[in-house]
Amino acid sequence: MRIRVRRTGGFAGIERQAEVDTSGRPDAREWQALAERAIAGGRGRPSVGVPDGFNYEITVDGRTVYAADPRLTEEQRTLISRVLKEGA
Amino acid sequence: MTKTNGGFEPVFCTVVPPHILDKLAQHEDPALANPARKTLERDAFERTHRRLTTVIGAPAVAAPPGAAEGKPHRTIYDARHHTDLPGRKVRGEGEDPGKDATVNRAYAGLGATFELYLKAYERYSIDGNGLPLDASVHYDNDYNNAFWNGEQMVFGDGDGEIFLDFTIPIDVIGHELTHGVTQYTANLTYFGQPGALNESLSDVFGSLIKQYTLGQTAAEADWLIGAGLLAPRVTGKALRSMKEPGTAYDDDVLGKDPQPATMDDFVRTGRDNGGVHINSGIPNHAFYLAATALGGHAWEKAGQVWYDVLTGGELKKDALFVDFAKLTVAAAKARFGDGEELQAVLKAWEQVGVRTA
Repeated sequence: MRIRVRRTGGFAGIERQAEVDTSGRPDAREWQALAERAIAGGRGRPSVGVPDGFNYEITVDGRTVYAADPRLTEEQRTLISRVLKEGA
Repeated sequence: MTKTNGGFEPVFCTVVPPHILDKLAQHEDPALANPARKTLERDAFERTHRRLTTVIGAPAVAAPPGAAEGKPHRTIYDARHHTDLPGRKVRGEGEDPGKDATVNRAYAGLGATFELYLKAYERYSIDGNGLPLDASVHYDNDYNNAFWNGEQMVFGDGDGEIFLDFTIPIDVIGHELTHGVTQYTANLTYFGQPGALNESLSDVFGSLIKQYTLGQTAAEADWLIGAGLLAPRVTGKALRSMKEPGTAYDDDVLGKDPQPATMDDFVRTGRDNGGVHINSGIPNHAFYLAATALGGHAWEKAGQVWYDVLTGGELKKDALFVDFAKLTVAAAKARFGDGEELQAVLKAWEQVGVRTA
């Protein structure tokens, strides 16, 4: 499973992107479960969000959903921060 | 709606997706259905509230009882590295500073912003009617951002690697609060050119709040947004430069400041809500040019003209740069007559390639 997160907007307006490929990882199951729950709570289209809030694009195996601060689900928040921290 | 808690219930709202709430609300077990219904009602209420704000302008909120006219009513909350807003109240109006420098900076920054709007433009708080000013600090962990959620300010601590504490630059605090002023006045759509104008107005008044606090003239000001926010290892002086858009940073991790200074370099993009933090460089630079051409305190002439446009009722929420520029010309004429102010405004827009006729 390939999980990609792209974060745009924010006060700085600086984009960040990272991807995690779960294949061969010892914690692949955990990643997959988290990604599925995060995707389930996402929107099909980007929203404008709040001024200076981050906008997120989460793509799991080619399927993309959108989310925006401060209204993230717990799973989205966890997934986003893990992918941006650990992904390449 | 009460304004004292920033309007957000900590339970459910940010955690459970809407389609699950719909399901839960229909559940036979009231223990499950009731909180879900409540959350949906609150969500719907907030959506309607925001929609109404868009349509008819924000409602007048009564000043809190006991709040003296002409005084701010500040409350700082500590989110304690969580994301539920507003968090625990840590400092109210008139209370002594505590040990947390972040809390003290936020409190002082809210006061400085309140002061500029009142003293320079006779605006009583961000809604013009004494709206209490709420801010939450220590939002989330290593959070590299600050934002306005429609009701209050939210500040992250930064990760210490790239960004430091977002309460450090006073112009960031002024920037966020000005999003509130814009919401209560022109309510510019946060997308594309109107979104870039919304961003630019926050940078303009954010910078003016810093200049007012330091007593600087246009010539003395640094015209930077977010100076002091970048961690020492980052190559850059700030996040944006109104004086020289595109030169604030050039770093191997952050990349290069993407802001254009003129319409020739206008960036077409779908990202960042259509480049709201990018193309804001153009109206930012126009303001800088007008303000420095006029000299003296920038909030007195150029700032007054921009403020008149923001609050004058003629700026439409879907305004483009040309619409805004034309209104500044009319406002300069109305306020100062056919003099150097008008000439400075005309020339500023001409220099950034935005036509006014």
